[in-house]
Amino acid sequence: MAEFSWLSRSPLEHALVVGAHGARDIEPGISLTEIRNFDLIQVMARRGKAAELANATKARFGMAAPDLPKAVSASDATLIWSGPDQFLVLSKGGKQTMDILSQAFSQSASLSDQSHARALISVSGTKARAMLAKLSSIDLHPMAFPIDAAAATSIDHTSVNLWRGNDRGDGQAVFNLLVFATFAESLWHTMLDAAAEYGVDIRLSEELG
Amino acid sequence: MRIVCPFCGERELGEFTYLGDAKPVRPAANASEDEVFDYVYLRDNVAGETSEHWYHAGGCRAWLKITRNTLTHEISSVEPAAGVGAAKVGA
Amino acid sequence: MVSHAQSHRLESGGLIDRSAPLNFRFDGKTFAGFQGDTLASALIANSVKLVGRSFKYHRPRGILTSGSEEPNALVELRTGARREPNTKATTTELYDGLEAASQNRWPSLRHDLMAVNQLFSPIFVAGFYYKTFMWPAKFWEAIYEPAIRRAAGLGRAAGVADPDHYDKAWAYCDVLIAGSGPAGLAAALAAGRSGARVILCEEDFALGGRLLADGGMIDGMPAAEWVSRTLAELATLPDVRIMTRTTLFGVYDGGTYGAFERVNDHLPSPPEHQVRQRLWRVVAKRCVVAAGAIERPIVFAGNDTPGVMMASAVRTYVARYAATPAKRIALFTNNEDGWRTVETALGAGLQIAAVVDARPDVSAAHRALAGKTGFPVLNGSVSGVDGGKDGVRKISVALAGGARAEVEADGLAVSGGWNPAVGLTSYHRGRPKWQDDISAFVPDSAPPGMVAAGAASGAFGLGACLRQGFAAGAAAAQSAGHNGNTGTPPVADDEAFSLTPLWQVAGKGKAFVDYQHDVTASDIELAQREGFESVEHLKRYTTLGMATDQGKTSNVAGLAIMAAVSGKSIPETGTTIYRPPYVPVAIGALAGHHRDENFHATRLTPSHHWAAEQGAVFVDTGLWKRAQWYPRAGEKDWLESVNREVKAVRGGVGFCDVSTLGKIDVHGPDAGAFLDRVYINTFANLAVGKARYGLMLREDGMVYDDGTTSRLAEDHYFLTTTTAKAGPVMQHLEFCRQVLFPELDVQLTSVSDQWAQFSVAGPKTRDLLREIVDPAEDLSNEGFPFMGAREVLLRGGIRARLFRISFSGEMAFEISVPARYGDALVRNLMLAGKQFGVTPYGTEALGVMRIEKGHVAGPELNGTTTAADLGLGKMMSTKKDFVGRVMAGREALVAPDRQVVVGVKPTDRARRLRSGAHIIPKGEIPGTANDQGYVTSVCFSPTLDQWIGLALVERGRERIGEIVHAHDPLRGEDYDVELCNPVFYDPDGGRQRG
Repeated sequence: MAEFSWLSRSPLEHALVVGAHGARDIEPGISLTEIRNFDLIQVMARRGKAAELANATKARFGMAAPDLPKAVSASDATLIWSGPDQFLVLSKGGKQTMDILSQAFSQSASLSDQSHARALISVSGTKARAMLAKLSSIDLHPMAFPIDAAAATSIDHTSVNLWRGNDRGDGQAVFNLLVFATFAESLWHTMLDAAAEYGVDIRLSEELG
Repeated sequence: MRIVCPFCGERELGEFTYLGDAKPVRPAANASEDEVFDYVYLRDNVAGETSEHWYHAGGCRAWLKITRNTLTHEISSVEPAAGVGAAKVGA
Repeated sequence: MVSHAQSHRLESGGLIDRSAPLNFRFDGKTFAGFQGDTLASALIANSVKLVGRSFKYHRPRGILTSGSEEPNALVELRTGARREPNTKATTTELYDGLEAASQNRWPSLRHDLMAVNQLFSPIFVAGFYYKTFMWPAKFWEAIYEPAIRRAAGLGRAAGVADPDHYDKAWAYCDVLIAGSGPAGLAAALAAGRSGARVILCEEDFALGGRLLADGGMIDGMPAAEWVSRTLAELATLPDVRIMTRTTLFGVYDGGTYGAFERVNDHLPSPPEHQVRQRLWRVVAKRCVVAAGAIERPIVFAGNDTPGVMMASAVRTYVARYAATPAKRIALFTNNEDGWRTVETALGAGLQIAAVVDARPDVSAAHRALAGKTGFPVLNGSVSGVDGGKDGVRKISVALAGGARAEVEADGLAVSGGWNPAVGLTSYHRGRPKWQDDISAFVPDSAPPGMVAAGAASGAFGLGACLRQGFAAGAAAAQSAGHNGNTGTPPVADDEAFSLTPLWQVAGKGKAFVDYQHDVTASDIELAQREGFESVEHLKRYTTLGMATDQGKTSNVAGLAIMAAVSGKSIPETGTTIYRPPYVPVAIGALAGHHRDENFHATRLTPSHHWAAEQGAVFVDTGLWKRAQWYPRAGEKDWLESVNREVKAVRGGVGFCDVSTLGKIDVHGPDAGAFLDRVYINTFANLAVGKARYGLMLREDGMVYDDGTTSRLAEDHYFLTTTTAKAGPVMQHLEFCRQVLFPELDVQLTSVSDQWAQFSVAGPKTRDLLREIVDPAEDLSNEGFPFMGAREVLLRGGIRARLFRISFSGEMAFEISVPARYGDALVRNLMLAGKQFGVTPYGTEALGVMRIEKGHVAGPELNGTTTAADLGLGKMMSTKKDFVGRVMAGREALVAPDRQVVVGVKPTDRARRLRSGAHIIPKGEIPGTANDQGYVTSVCFSPTLDQWIGLALVERGRERIGEIVHAHDPLRGEDYDVELCNPVFYDPDGGRQRG
């Protein structure tokens, strides 16, 4: 009987090379970080169950899920609006799993595990907005897209969830992107191409921002 | 063209998919072949305000009913389809 | 390197940097210029007058303007892969090492043999294509067109792939401003001060518009100082963005604008990692068009002689670039503004040969200047030019009294007045209106949110430009919700502008209206005589305004001449429709990042990199890359590899990545009822733990898609779609859920990317899976029967789903694991399967086995087939309503003579079958009348050791055993095939159930 290993392999495993990319003679204007080890559960309210789901959400996270395009942070999860009657629960791997949430929302919502269906990429740096302007049609001006703003939108004709997290320590804005796993490598290359002229610092993280 | 999604706000045309005339209503199960034929094929060719189905495919995946002027492209209203927001039914 | 002296460069002045000399080459000769030059200004400084040959007649041409309206000075810029034809020398920034070549001449610019075209000019008149090359028809492609293309070219494309990168970007603002002249800068000041987000686009590399050449006093200081102070203030405002080298070229619905940025065109090649050009889509709440005006020529004989130049361009070259187009220059004007050129020229120490003013009432001040300086002022018109490729020598003047005069000059500045740039304001089918006092079209309306200011709206005075620009900027900001203090508007005096309309002067010789397309005044007169009087007909018949300059210098003059010969007023004659782009936009910029491997986004399956390690050959399937087959050393072709893969599955075990199938979670209490309405068969009664094959129709009754759907819980189904229809089916199901059946409590989520799914097939499948699956799981036929579906535990604690479904016809399971374990699963399958000879197989083997089993796929699910056509009519429930039910019952869709799926095999076993061959009754001559269908799918079946196929054939199922004729005119093949049962392999299905 063979010994099996079940290595979890990120859809960016092949493409992501930690370190510098693009223009080298300048301070990197873009920081690109892939975040691994997360759980992502799609929660869709059942018919007429908005109030019940809201109660269950409050009971579980101590806060309501956003009713408009926002991403709000609870102590160990981020609730990301993803459309009418639905939101995503993003958490560090093992914290808010399908099994746990199925119990919490069994009467009020339909759940789908998307933990393996997306790659999570965080974009920051002085040129983050300039780079994202090449990829996204969303207005990311600080007034138009403040901290916690979220958008279900498209990059390269591919659906993404985009939201603004807390600013970095140096005050730079942080934009998080959930992209489809099977598109991730292709989008990663597109992002690198868009970012190359500003200088890129590529990292990996096991921690949600 | 830009469309104001009632959920996502103003977005560029590329995020949306056009289906067609939103006026015809799917006939009941006992409808005649003629009624269904009209539902499937009969369309007005309107110069002016029309009601259309659009899908926010590249956004929140809501089906929308959009009133648009075919002469000016002006959009006068965008409403979610009947089944969007069903969680709040009866609330 | 020997540089020619800059004989026509002033010692001082101008906005060039004399400390930064640059060398460049034009037609192989080396010249010198300075940083801040354009190619045109540097050529002028080097006394190069002849820069190109005209389009039809190969007439020698010089530089006419100093901006993007230039019709003449088009060159091939750069060499090799970066060679770009039809580049305007007037907007090309000089850089060190620039190489340019004149175009449309052979063998050289000075000795162009094609200039004989001028001798044949009678046949090149308006409409000559339509008249001359009518007969014989076959000569057109073979002889006429190639010859004309050679003779009337516009430069040569590089002919190889563009090595540079381009991209596209989005920008947002409250107020978008086109142009950085006095009106544009004043608008930016007002809007920026009020707190609005402002983007100002300027196509030039320097800011200031006409102020750069014409100066003036603003707020009591020289214009240049005001510009630099204004720019300094704008730089302090947080949300004002100034984009130079950027042309606003179009306006689209909803306040979306197109802008074209030449990011690195001013360098020999873009720095590493940078793009050459960028296309901007700007979303603006308001737009102020301060794009200025374009000076217009006057049509007279010889007006295209090198050395004849727009008066404003002469000022630009002298004042901005310190380059003198002539030493002794004459001016021909019909308006006050033209006289500024005299002042500029005199200020630079040039000689004025004469001023020819069409107006009888030249001011006393001008006469005094003429008297003091010693040049004649002639009341009349220039009627001819004596000169050639070396420039102007002498001009003939028709004096107002009827007498004639001649003036010796080496340059002629012309001003026929100014046309506001009405492009942007007219792009939504707006028609500009005629304004008598300036004899020009001005904007009458504009797209929503847009307003014109300054010269673009017909206000030619400096004071008026500033006032209008400032007011427009303030109003735009306010209507976008910004009410901050706009401060004091800049102030300047308004110069007088008096003009006597003059479009055309009678004379001998060709008088050009459209320089770039060689359209003359007599072409327009001819068009009118032949009935092409409407401006849209005039344009197409003569090609007036249809060149890359879009008639910026020619349209209005053309209309005026047409008005005159047809006896109408200019406003009655009207304008043609204006359409974007305002300047040519490179296809590369429109494509942006989307070229070559980035043409579209690519999807990779979870086993992709493993498959690549195995040396798999990949095929593009929609956006996906799928392993097509896995070649092994020694295999001579794809067929050998595919045959091996098929045999391995049929005789042992193999696996294939089928993660590309669309996967949708259907949740909710009404999930079953929902599926019953979208599938033709029933799903509400499907037991938990079971899978069922389902077929969907379109509402018109044709088959839409198929796939298996499993019930994983009472309120949870897992639906699969074909690879091709994954997206469309999701959209269709959401339409059904949200629009058609809103009363159902059902939720849909795409989980396509969540699961890595593999088909494991072959008689040894169970043996292999038992190595992978936890020993506690019962995989026996009783414990996991055909069409079973449930979650199982794998060895090592991973949870997976198993579906006992088969596309290959073998004993098979589909196994799915969360996608990040897909790579591990495939490696574990290989490891565990080694003892069973496990063989990965690609889409080709998958296709072979599905044809052997008679399963329909894309070629049969082609949008024109019904369920019955596919042999699946019995699935159609009669007990419920579903999408497509009623229309599927239409007479023609249930007609007995429809083409239905049947198997085909050649009577000659050695023969290869091909898709697309037509089925004709045996013994009949092929034709549309007896065309009974066609072959849809073919493969070589290693199992049957011959080519087999599926076909759609009239009454096919009733004709099993009949020999028919396969006619393939595309490949010139004719052969007999036998119609047979489409299930070639294991027709009773014992293998997949075993």
